[in-house]
Amino acid sequence: MADLGRLSDMELERALRELGPRYPYPPTPNLAIAVRQRIVAQPAAPVRRLALWRDPRRLALVAAVLLVLASAAALINPTTRDAIAHFFHVPGVIVNRVPSPFPSLSPGTTLDLGQRTSMADAQSAMSFKIAVPAELGAPDAIYVAGGIPGGEVELAYTPRPGIPLVRQTGLGVLITEFRGDLIPGFITKVVEPGTTLEETSVDGDPGWWIAGEPHMVIVQVAGQGQPETLRMAANTLIWEHGGVTYRIESALSKAEAFQIAAGLP
Amino acid sequence: MEGRPLDDAVLVERARNGDVNAYEALVQQYQELAFRVAYQVTGDAADAEDAAQEGFVNAYYALGRFRSGAPFKPWLCRIVANEARNRRLAAHRRTALVERAHRAQASGEAAPSPEAAAEAEEFRSTLVATLRRLRDDDRLILAYRLFFDFSEAEMAEALHCPKGTVKSRLSRALARLRAALPAEVHLAMGAPSDG
Repeated sequence: MADLGRLSDMELERALRELGPRYPYPPTPNLAIAVRQRIVAQPAAPVRRLALWRDPRRLALVAAVLLVLASAAALINPTTRDAIAHFFHVPGVIVNRVPSPFPSLSPGTTLDLGQRTSMADAQSAMSFKIAVPAELGAPDAIYVAGGIPGGEVELAYTPRPGIPLVRQTGLGVLITEFRGDLIPGFITKVVEPGTTLEETSVDGDPGWWIAGEPHMVIVQVAGQGQPETLRMAANTLIWEHGGVTYRIESALSKAEAFQIAAGLP
Repeated sequence: MEGRPLDDAVLVERARNGDVNAYEALVQQYQELAFRVAYQVTGDAADAEDAAQEGFVNAYYALGRFRSGAPFKPWLCRIVANEARNRRLAAHRRTALVERAHRAQASGEAAPSPEAAAEAEEFRSTLVATLRRLRDDDRLILAYRLFFDFSEAEMAEALHCPKGTVKSRLSRALARLRAALPAEVHLAMGAPSDG
C-alpha cells in the first residue's frame, strides 16, 4: 500500500499521463454530419449594417480616430507592444491606452443598440442564459443585435432615484452581455490619461473597472477593420464568466457597480 | 486527435470562405478531442455530445472574427469547454446521479482482472474518481497538459489565461489533486497494461 497523497509532482504527472489513453471516455459520436446539416441549413450569420459608414460626418470622425489609434500604436516600442498583446484581457474586449486626450466626440453620438424586443424573444436568440441583475429587476427595454455569433443582448434601465442619468447613453444603466469567447476583439475601448483603468475581479473572474473621463468604445464589424459603433462611454465594469462577457455602464460608483454585478449569476 | 497547424490554417481559411467540406474536415479532425474536453467538464456523454456539437457550430459562425493564422485547436476547445460548463450548470441537479454512475462504472471496471492488472486498474479508478471531484478548471488544465498533450501556449489560449500563469495553475491543480487523493491505495504505477 502506498500513500498517494505523498506522490511527487513528477510521479503524479507520470501517473496521469499513463491514465490518459485509458481514461474511461464514452465512444466519440460522429458530430460531422450533424454539424454539417446545421451550418448548411443556416448559412453564416449576416454582417450587421454599417450605419456608421453611411453618414459622411461620422465617417470623417472615425477616420480621425483610427488615425490617432494608429499613431499611438506606432509610438509604442515593440517590447511594450508585446507586453500589451500578452496582457490578460476580458474575452471579446481589447483595451488600448493612448498617451493624449482625444478630439472629443459629441456626447450624443448615436447609441446603436440593435432591435428592441421582448425578454422571451431575446432569450431565444442567445446561446447563453440572459442574466438580469437582482439589484435592478426587469429592464425597461431589451435590445438584441443581429448577426453576432452567440448573440448579444442589451438591457436598458432608465434613470431613477439612486440611478443618475448617463449623459453618453441617455440611460441610467446599460448592461451588455455577449459571448466574448466567440468574438475576439468585438469591443475595443480606448482609454485616455484622464480615465482610470483598474484590473479587478468580479467574484473571482477577471475584469476591468474603467472610470473617470469618458472613454471611447468601438464595436468592430465581423472580419472588417471598420468600426460599426463608436461612442463615448461612462464608468464601466466589464468581466467574463463562463464564456459570457458582461458590461455594466453607468454613472454609479465602483461599489455600486459591483453591487449590481453581484446580483448577476 | 492532433492536427498540423499549417493544415488547420488552410482549412480554416477555406471554411471562412464558405467551404463546408473544409469545415467538415476540421470537425472530423477534432471531434474526438472536442467530445473528450466536453466530457471532462460534464461527466455525461449526452451533454458532452451536445456541447461539442454546439461548440463546432458556434465556432463556424464565429470564423469571420477568428484572427487569421491563430491556432484553431485551443480556440475550439475554449468554446466547447464553455458550452459544456453552461450545460453542466443547467444540469446541476443531475450531478449527483452522474457522480454515482461514475463511481459505479469505475468500481465495476476494477473487479474482474488478474492481480497485477487489478491493482493498476484500482489505482486508475481511484485517480479517475478523484479527478471527477476536482473543480472544472483543475480537471481541464490537467487534461489539456497530461491527457491531450497541449503546449503551454495552447493551454493559455484554451483556458483563457496569461501564458505566464499556466505553470503555476498546473502545479496548484496537481496539489489539489494530491490533497484529494485517498491516503491508502495500492500504488501500481508502471504496472503492465492489461490491454
